[in-house]
Amino acid sequence: MSPEVADIGVYCCHLPLGTLGGMLETVELRKSFGRPVLDGVSLAVRPGEVFGFVGANGAGKTTTMRIVMGVLTPDGGEVRWQGEPLDFAARRTFGYLPEERGLYQKMRVAEQITYFGRLHGLTPQAAARATGALVERLGLAERANETVQALSLGNQQRVQLAVALVHDPAVLVLDEPFSGLDPLAVDALGEVLRERARGGVPVIFSSHQLELVERLCDSVGIIANGRIVAGGTVDELRAGGRTLTEIFRQAAMGEAAK
Amino acid sequence: MNALLLVARREIVAQVRTRAFAIGLAVMVLLVGGATFAPKLFGGPDSYALGTVGTSALQIQDAKWTTYRDEASATKALKDGDVDAVIAGKKVLSNGELDPKLDALLQSANAQAQIKAAGLTITPLNVVSVGPGADAEHTRRGLAFIVVLVLFMLIISTPMMVAMGVVEEKGSRIVEILFTTVRPWQLLGGKILGLGAVGLINLAGVIAAGLVAATASGLAADLPPGLAGIVAGVVVWFILGYTFFAALAAALGSLVSRQEEVGNALAPMTTLIVVAYGVAFYALGDPGSTVARVVSLLPPFSAIVMPVRTAAADVALWEVAVSGVLLLAAVAGIVLLGARIYERAVLRTGARVRIGDVLKSS
Ligand SMILES: Nc1ncnc2c1ncn2[C@@H]1O[C@H](COP(=O)(O)OP(=O)(O)O)[C@@H](O)[C@H]1O
Ligand SMILES: [Mg+2]
Repeated sequence: MSPEVADIGVYCCHLPLGTLGGMLETVELRKSFGRPVLDGVSLAVRPGEVFGFVGANGAGKTTTMRIVMGVLTPDGGEVRWQGEPLDFAARRTFGYLPEERGLYQKMRVAEQITYFGRLHGLTPQAAARATGALVERLGLAERANETVQALSLGNQQRVQLAVALVHDPAVLVLDEPFSGLDPLAVDALGEVLRERARGGVPVIFSSHQLELVERLCDSVGIIANGRIVAGGTVDELRAGGRTLTEIFRQAAMGEAAK
Repeated sequence: MNALLLVARREIVAQVRTRAFAIGLAVMVLLVGGATFAPKLFGGPDSYALGTVGTSALQIQDAKWTTYRDEASATKALKDGDVDAVIAGKKVLSNGELDPKLDALLQSANAQAQIKAAGLTITPLNVVSVGPGADAEHTRRGLAFIVVLVLFMLIISTPMMVAMGVVEEKGSRIVEILFTTVRPWQLLGGKILGLGAVGLINLAGVIAAGLVAATASGLAADLPPGLAGIVAGVVVWFILGYTFFAALAAALGSLVSRQEEVGNALAPMTTLIVVAYGVAFYALGDPGSTVARVVSLLPPFSAIVMPVRTAAADVALWEVAVSGVLLLAAVAGIVLLGARIYERAVLRTGARVRIGDVLKSS
């Protein structure tokens, strides 16, 4: 066995062969809004891995994710998927939960989820099936025929998540998916993410809740002032005997001191 | 189904379900149906109710005759309005002044009856019109007026819906998700197509209401012979005009992020439409004037003024053709420009985006 194959085997021994190399990477992303906001952000999310993207407010998490999803174009660097530069056709297979939630307020819950499924290329039958399953899974079954505006914010958030999941995405990019959720909903969402990752999907989400990240993630990237200041698997980071919170605080302070 | 058609279908379903759509359609149908039917209500009657006392009825087309026993009962019927005039021997009884048209009819019928009784036959003069009758002319102007009104309402309100939809998606950031799976031109094209279909549903409803009311009121007989052509023309001009203003509305709408700002952002578009409307009104009174002729060639005003001119009077084919080609070119231009502005502005939330900035940045 050649060394490279053995190397890949370490990451994805539990995955079917077809998903080998299904890795999402950002390479030296740069972006400036008048002043530099991203200063060479490189990340790698392996298939089947839940990746926690951590950083203070304004550190550059949302900007990075928007570049990954093609909402923003980087000034430099690129996003790679399966070793190739990410293009529109490949990105259509991704699922995205933007930081600022957006749904058609006057559209009914199930219709909305189905609509996004269709836009992602599902047949009417497949979209209806996926919608039914998600509505059930996310506890929205009784609300399926109500308009979005009639739902509580927590339930709107579930609909938003369903929209991101309906087409069975090959990659999940979730910007602060846990904000505004009650503890039960947090657990449920965490379970959904782990389940998708078990299916071989790279999952990246941003969060401030460090203990949550520690509990849920395989790997973590800490960003401060547009630079990745620490990263690795949760076990690696903790090997020094420090908690994620301590590492985070130190990284943030180190940046501030510069 | 392709993404553009999916978007279009969503727009149609979303609009048709709203109460505003039902109310808007009902109001326009009532307005147009009413305007078409009104001449029947306010104009003179088509047939007369006549009576006789002791004489025989005269030869008058479409008249309904009643025989009264004596003048007293005839007078009562006149006062009750059951009958327009009663012939009693050599007298004609009427309630107040006799309708001059009826007077002439009665006199001439009486004259004919006496001539016939004398054993003579006369050949009545046959009127052959070499121009449109006054009634037809009148009706045609009325038709053109309705066309102005309907086009004005639809061409201002439908692009407004496009702009509101654009701002809804921009302000709520749905575009961020949408653009990961549909291209900007698919989203914009689907929206313009879908809402255009909604506009056409409205237009079809209005045309149907107009035709039904015209048939019911007997007005249809006075409608110009090329009516089908005029109606088809109105539909084509509407499609062109709508596409022009919808692309403009989408571009202007994409500059702002909140519904409250839409009206303001659309001011340039509404101004254009109001100017076109003003000229169209003028063209109604004088469809052959130089102003009307020139403006009916000029896009985008031609989208409203030309159909009004064709409804109000006969227009040379070459003028229609030139106007159509110019408008089509303008539509193509504005769609390309509008899509460019939209694509660049719709992801820039926050403060109002300036058109200059959008066009400068590449
Ligand atoms: N469209 C924009 N225009 C100007 N500055 C922006 C824009 N988007 C983000 N920024 C700035 O970039 C920085 C990083 O923002 P963001 O990526 O949203 O951070 P995070 O998601 O980590 O909180 C912030 O200082 C923010 O003010
Ligand atoms: Mg953020």
